[in-house]
Amino acid sequence: MIRGAVAIFKRDFKKFMSNPFVVVMTLLMPIMYLVVFGNAMGGTISYIPIGVVQEGPPYNNTPLFLNSVPLLSHYGQPENYPRLFDVTVYPSESSAKTDLTLGKLEGVVVFPSEVSSDHAVRLYLDSSDSIMPPLIESGVSSVLLQQDAQNTILVDKIYGDIHYLTFFGVGIIMMAIFTSTMFGGGIALIKDRENGIHEGYLVTPVQRSSIILGIISSGTIRAFFAGFTIFWIDLLITGIVIHSIQAFLLVILVIFIACIGVTSLVVSFASRFSAQQEYASTVAFINLILFMTSGAFYPVLGMPDWLRWITMINPEYYGIHALRSIILRNQGLDVIGIDLVALLIFSTAMIILGIVTYRRTLE
Amino acid sequence: MNGKPGVATADGCSSNGDENIIHIDHITKIFGENKRKVIAVSDISFDVRRGEIFGLLGPNGAGKSTLIRILTTLLRATSGTACVGTYNIATDPEKIRSIIGVCPQNSTLDIELSAYDNLDFYGKLENVPDEILPDRIWELLEMSELTDRANMRVQTFSGGMRRKLEIVRAFIHKPLILFLDEPTIGLDPEARREVWQQIAKLNAANTTIILTTHYMDEAEKLCGRIAFVDRGKLIALDTMENLRKLIPAGDLIEIGVEKMDERVVQAIRENSLVNAVSVLEQKVTISATNGSRLLPALLAIFERFSVPILSISIRTPSLEDVFIYLTGKKLDSGGEGGPPAPGPRGRRPS
Repeated sequence: MIRGAVAIFKRDFKKFMSNPFVVVMTLLMPIMYLVVFGNAMGGTISYIPIGVVQEGPPYNNTPLFLNSVPLLSHYGQPENYPRLFDVTVYPSESSAKTDLTLGKLEGVVVFPSEVSSDHAVRLYLDSSDSIMPPLIESGVSSVLLQQDAQNTILVDKIYGDIHYLTFFGVGIIMMAIFTSTMFGGGIALIKDRENGIHEGYLVTPVQRSSIILGIISSGTIRAFFAGFTIFWIDLLITGIVIHSIQAFLLVILVIFIACIGVTSLVVSFASRFSAQQEYASTVAFINLILFMTSGAFYPVLGMPDWLRWITMINPEYYGIHALRSIILRNQGLDVIGIDLVALLIFSTAMIILGIVTYRRTLE
Repeated sequence: MNGKPGVATADGCSSNGDENIIHIDHITKIFGENKRKVIAVSDISFDVRRGEIFGLLGPNGAGKSTLIRILTTLLRATSGTACVGTYNIATDPEKIRSIIGVCPQNSTLDIELSAYDNLDFYGKLENVPDEILPDRIWELLEMSELTDRANMRVQTFSGGMRRKLEIVRAFIHKPLILFLDEPTIGLDPEARREVWQQIAKLNAANTTIILTTHYMDEAEKLCGRIAFVDRGKLIALDTMENLRKLIPAGDLIEIGVEKMDERVVQAIRENSLVNAVSVLEQKVTISATNGSRLLPALLAIFERFSVPILSISIRTPSLEDVFIYLTGKKLDSGGEGGPPAPGPRGRRPS
């Protein structure tokens, strides 16, 4: 029994050691978890974009308004930390609110005019994000306290109360897409290579673009089923309400385009790898980075700069942003158009990469 | 022995004539680099004529599969060039893929699909028109006697059934040239005969066939011309009859011994009837003009040096004898003359 066990051990270990790629990946994974997960989740949120405005119709600026703007701008995080707010002064309440609904601002603070009856400070918050509203709220109230102002704060969460579960649930749609591409996307190509089956069809006139496009199409459909199913489950668990048929169709469109993007990314890797093990560890690695930096868990504002750069080229970021805009904020194509364009550019680049790197010979 | 001076030049194959359908010009293939370098194909040149069954014969690891892979555009030659049809392997691989059919040595069937689906998949990749494809598939299934298993997964098939399916798949699009890499490996005698009939039938329908094998009887039965390949080199190329003539005329006498004595060999060589003597392991092979007349003299020699004889036989030379005569080793036992060349990523081609 021992002899057999030793033989099996030796065989397995030899294989493991003869594949340095997998060895490195095994070590790299936990390190990346530490670095990416730690930074993405525990980061200090800073530079939250907020708008401040003096209540209209145009009245003179009140002392409270004039004093609060610099105080909010320098509102203190502990020392050595970047400031919390990025304050923009708006000339009118309506323009500030427009920017809030377009997602350019996280909150708008409206200071009361001299003729105001209740002297209340009104605070409008983008509540589709569950982490920043309380930060803004506490910032504003402590700035008022510093000035001994007795004004009440009226908080208006413009999208109602949204729980973290709902916030996160949208991200999970993206995760479903990614996991299904991990197992479905390019694995067929690699299995063919491992079993030597590809030798059979590489001698036919089939073009490599046909091979890649065929695999991407089937992977996209599979990922779409996963994403769409999770979307329904999300609706049931988190109680999200889709307000219109347009919004519903937009969600489907976004999920579909995100599927193309993520599948083509995964296939572009598969077109080169020849072993499932290498492929799986690479894709798991990428999955980690992309999901962590996508903003699914935690606002991108809380991430260090280098992680935000990854976000810029992360298809999941655009997918999640678009889905949140539609589902949580009831926004339309005017807001998510840019996300769709980014996803399509990304997909095209990945499809081309996949085709170009596909090995048409056995070497 | 090597192919006659090029019909085609390095850059163009359009003049590859009516007579020759494949022209191979100094093809060399080297795997690996520096210390781990393995020369799988070494400067091979020859022509294959239109409509013939051409045999590539050699032991395992001789470089047959590598050469086939180069001709079927799966590998790039390290140096040299070749024309398949009127196309150059380096510049027109797509065109070549549309005129060839290939049955690789290792199974490339998708075992998770049914026999029908496998053929359907390939038919589409080979651009067989949709309106004739189903009929063609049933015709091929009929041919390979798999009609009743058409919708069963290939997983459930025996080795022989898989092989037959793979072979018929290679000519689903009626290719101009058919490459068969060890077509009958692992088949029982009955199945082998069926495959041979199939190959002969295809050839009668004007398909040029190149097959590799390490079975002598297969080459003898099917091939018009035969190329001997050993350790990446072309040893000989000719028709069956002409190859036989390479061995000095007459009979072959094989004598089995326990241990050979050099003096015995010396004494045998001195006999005027003897053309050649070779010793391989515990077998002495003597080529003689008239075997039966020589026997008594041979026995006397063995007697004189008191070397006991274990067995003795007289026969006319076979293809295998020619191979042994030329290379000094047997066909079935690859690796005796040196380590077999590993194929791409360590797989052993043969």
